[in-house]
Amino acid sequence: MSSFAHADFEAEEKFVSSFADNAINILGSDTLSNADRSSQFTDLVMRSIDINLISKFVLSKFWKAASDEQKTEYLEAFKEYFIASYASKLDQYSGEKVVVISSEASKKYVIVKSHIVRDGTDTLKIELDWRLLNRDGETKIIDLNIEGISLIIAQREEFQSFLNNHDNDLDALIDKLKSINTKN
Amino acid sequence: MKSKLVLLFVLLSLSISGCASITKDEVLAENIATQKVSDPLEPFNRMVFSFNNVFDKYALRPVAILYRGVLPEFARNRITYALNNLSMPITTINNILQFEFGKAGISTARFVINSTIGILGFFDPAAYFGLEASSEDFGQTLAVWGIPKGPYLVLPLLGPSSPRDFTGLLSTSLLDPTYQIGNTANRELFRYYKMGTSAVNFRSENIELFDDLQNNSVDYYAAVRSFYNQSRNSQVSDNLEVSPSVNQDNLFNDFEEFDLDDTYIGPDISIDYPE
Repeated sequence: MSSFAHADFEAEEKFVSSFADNAINILGSDTLSNADRSSQFTDLVMRSIDINLISKFVLSKFWKAASDEQKTEYLEAFKEYFIASYASKLDQYSGEKVVVISSEASKKYVIVKSHIVRDGTDTLKIELDWRLLNRDGETKIIDLNIEGISLIIAQREEFQSFLNNHDNDLDALIDKLKSINTKN
Repeated sequence: MKSKLVLLFVLLSLSISGCASITKDEVLAENIATQKVSDPLEPFNRMVFSFNNVFDKYALRPVAILYRGVLPEFARNRITYALNNLSMPITTINNILQFEFGKAGISTARFVINSTIGILGFFDPAAYFGLEASSEDFGQTLAVWGIPKGPYLVLPLLGPSSPRDFTGLLSTSLLDPTYQIGNTANRELFRYYKMGTSAVNFRSENIELFDDLQNNSVDYYAAVRSFYNQSRNSQVSDNLEVSPSVNQDNLFNDFEEFDLDDTYIGPDISIDYPE
């Protein structure tokens, strides 16, 4: 047996490190046209992040109550919203390097821990934890945790709060997502 | 001085009663991420939040942008280090109140090394001796003692808080040793400088983050509330030496449920996502 616990999740560590490198490269690229940058980033996210599961999870009980028509509309609006929101969050780290530190199993998930060292310093770090889930033999990212803040949990709370303040009307949320998508 | 002694006494007696009755598991259960968001004061909080946003838009954010534009990265990093260093004495006090004497030693050593070799804290040579930075405040100490967090609270100008964290903040402002330097007039001035610099420095490090949240949130207020609660929960779980990510596991309990009981995933959509 290897004495290095993290060696068990070597594949997951490589997966995260390659996703982070690719994402930062694509978003920070000066040579790609805007359209190419978007389509490449979209492809990368679709390959690496389990958006289908995430879209349902953040809607929680409202997903189960939704009509088929609402589900279709919501999934479409959420995908676009989600990708743009990840682009904007990861774009803040352009030119920097995500360094994978370790990994551990946590219930059904694998958590890959990494950090970014702030430009011009050795010791100011931003900690990023990636939560991965293996489903049907395929490993995908389901959450990014920045300095203890899980983006998916924040998203879920935000959607629940929006719906609570809008008579639990899913159509209002879909419209809101669409209007943010048009603005971007 | 009298008020400080009274406060210290209250904190210590809270500490003793806290230790007597609360186990680590109970503290975890109270503080660690739960699905429930306690915000009974939401309408009031939203009002204060809107007021704070106006202040941010016209005062804090413009100053933060100016600060980042005028000061080179090198200088800004020095200020971040110096502010971290100034938080070490109060961190030591909180390490002791949390009965973390080893950590108290590290915080003290960090302060001594960085204030001298590190030139008034502008550099962090202590890190090269393996003394890693960590910061503790009274809010975290109260959490470790098992004091409940209470409802979410948005304070005018100070932003997101809770009764527990607000109590912690008041304690810090009364007991922080770095506020005892110089004569009375200088002390006041130093306190305002430190608070102002901390606020502007923090804001300047998060300009894109808050812009992104404000533009892309369906509910900005709820997003900030979640960020604050999660951030504080994870600091407390750090105190209890539990990995924040592992702590959040229970939040993902029903994650796959959405896969199991509902296989409908909608059509495959290709997105034309504009810049």
